[in-house]
Amino acid sequence: MALAAEAFMTQLAAAEPWPENAALYQQLKDEQILLSDNASSLAVQAFLQMCNLPVRVVCRANAEYMSPSGKVPFIHVGNQVVSELGPIVQFVKAKGHSLSDGLDEVQKAEMKAYMELVNNMLLTAELYLQWCDDVTVEEITHLRYGSPYPWPLNRILSYQKQWEIRRKMKAIGWAGKSLEQVLEDVDQCCQALSQRLGTQPYFFNKQCKGLTFQYRRLVPKIRPTELDALVFGHLFTILTTQLTSDELSEKVKNYSNLIAFCRRIEQQYFEGHDKDSSSSATSRSAKRSLLR
Amino acid sequence: MAAPMELSCWGGGWGLPSVHPESLTVMAYAKFSGAPLTVNAINNCWRAPKGEVPILISEDTVISQPAKILNFLRKQKYNADYELSAKQGADTLAYIALLEEKLLPALLHTFWVEAENYCSVTKPWFASRIPFPLSLYLPGKMSREALNRILLTRGGPPLYSLTEVEAQIYRDAKECLNLLSKRLGTSQFFFGNRPSTLDAFVFGFLAPLYKVCFPRVQLQEHLKQLPNLCRFCDDILSCYFRLAVSGHSPAGQDTVDANLQKLTQLVNKESNLIEKIRLSLFLCRWTTTFVRVLSIPLES
Repeated sequence: MALAAEAFMTQLAAAEPWPENAALYQQLKDEQILLSDNASSLAVQAFLQMCNLPVRVVCRANAEYMSPSGKVPFIHVGNQVVSELGPIVQFVKAKGHSLSDGLDEVQKAEMKAYMELVNNMLLTAELYLQWCDDVTVEEITHLRYGSPYPWPLNRILSYQKQWEIRRKMKAIGWAGKSLEQVLEDVDQCCQALSQRLGTQPYFFNKQCKGLTFQYRRLVPKIRPTELDALVFGHLFTILTTQLTSDELSEKVKNYSNLIAFCRRIEQQYFEGHDKDSSSSATSRSAKRSLLR
Repeated sequence: MAAPMELSCWGGGWGLPSVHPESLTVMAYAKFSGAPLTVNAINNCWRAPKGEVPILISEDTVISQPAKILNFLRKQKYNADYELSAKQGADTLAYIALLEEKLLPALLHTFWVEAENYCSVTKPWFASRIPFPLSLYLPGKMSREALNRILLTRGGPPLYSLTEVEAQIYRDAKECLNLLSKRLGTSQFFFGNRPSTLDAFVFGFLAPLYKVCFPRVQLQEHLKQLPNLCRFCDDILSCYFRLAVSGHSPAGQDTVDANLQKLTQLVNKESNLIEKIRLSLFLCRWTTTFVRVLSIPLES
């Protein structure tokens, strides 16, 4: 049933062009949103910027409940609502915009594999840190997650979500891991990403139509793909979020090419759009913090 | 050089050294890297498996998950990846994540959740290798854990019923198989001519799906349409495990498998019958004692 509905939606999506009033919904930026949701939201924003599709970010306290899949972010385009990066990429592709068209089959397989790596390791590690590490849970998560709601609803929602995430961690075998092991996994993931990226500007350097002026010459443009958007979303959020300790961001900072990658994408796609001009991945003094 | 290492894992069948994907991954890696591993298949004895399987025991160290076991073997200088470049090492991690996210739910479903497969193949096979009374409980527990994992990781909205979740996970698994097939292409192994960690993981996941004879086989049929993956499994079986390969006489192997399955079912029916007879004898004895006890006041 859901597959038939999806096929129907794709047909509908293909019919209309991208409207000017597309909106991306996420939780409240300063008080409520958590590390993992912020990373996912930033990944989608980066992807839409890379496709040159305008979208405005709308912050709502109940974004999670509005979402069709229960996860943020979701986009409201025309009369359709699509959540999570995977389905959004498919939706945007149905409208005729794609970042990974020029890749061959083997490269597409590699791209999907790396996206699963980020979801499997980085996202799960973020969820673990937010919901299973007692210090972070007490000092940050419980305070932020239910903050728009009055007591006792804020605590109830928070505990309910924690219970749900802990069940999932137990099912996939992460409940028995210690924080050090999780950080080691993050390190392994960052190492893999760093090795794959190497000295290239993006993960897949496919040349696309058009030329750009670089080093006093006209050179073919290289476009990023959705993998770049996803990696940027997660790494930038990890680097710029203040948690109880710096261990997580230190793991990413060990890899200078990843920091340069985040800086490059930020400069190219977010500078000028971001009114909060003091935030920058590398500026230590003006760290954009999600903590009050 | 290294201390003797013993691997405790589920046994083999249908032409495989083990039917359990994780056990098979570890055994394959040990063969690729030349690690001298003594394999103890769990059989019907009182050393019942508790918790994780496979388990590697080396002197006093006990290690339980495939990734950790492989790390341990690498530290003992049994490394199948030393010829890989940094990028290939990174690709290994990425493809293993792809297998775990996209293929594993469907594999668990085929073995443990699909009712016909579970009742006619998986449960009798595992129950025959676990001592009574655990054989009544453990297969059910493994099945519930598999369903739990599938629902918790893939069962959220907008998929609200188990059939929708099943459809989605099988779709993802078929896509994953297609991606693996494209990545493998015409080469013998995923990275060059020597097998590595990724080959061990892919073999561990694909071989049970390829060889075990299930009544409901949609994923197996899809796999059989990808000849390079089938050839990959058969090559590893014939080169590293020296087991007969079904590629030349599929009909013959199929009848052998069918016969084996019938025999297993017969044996299980007989053991069920024996257990029922035991239970009824016990009940008879208990009833007789009860009647005797009751009749004492009457006699007096």
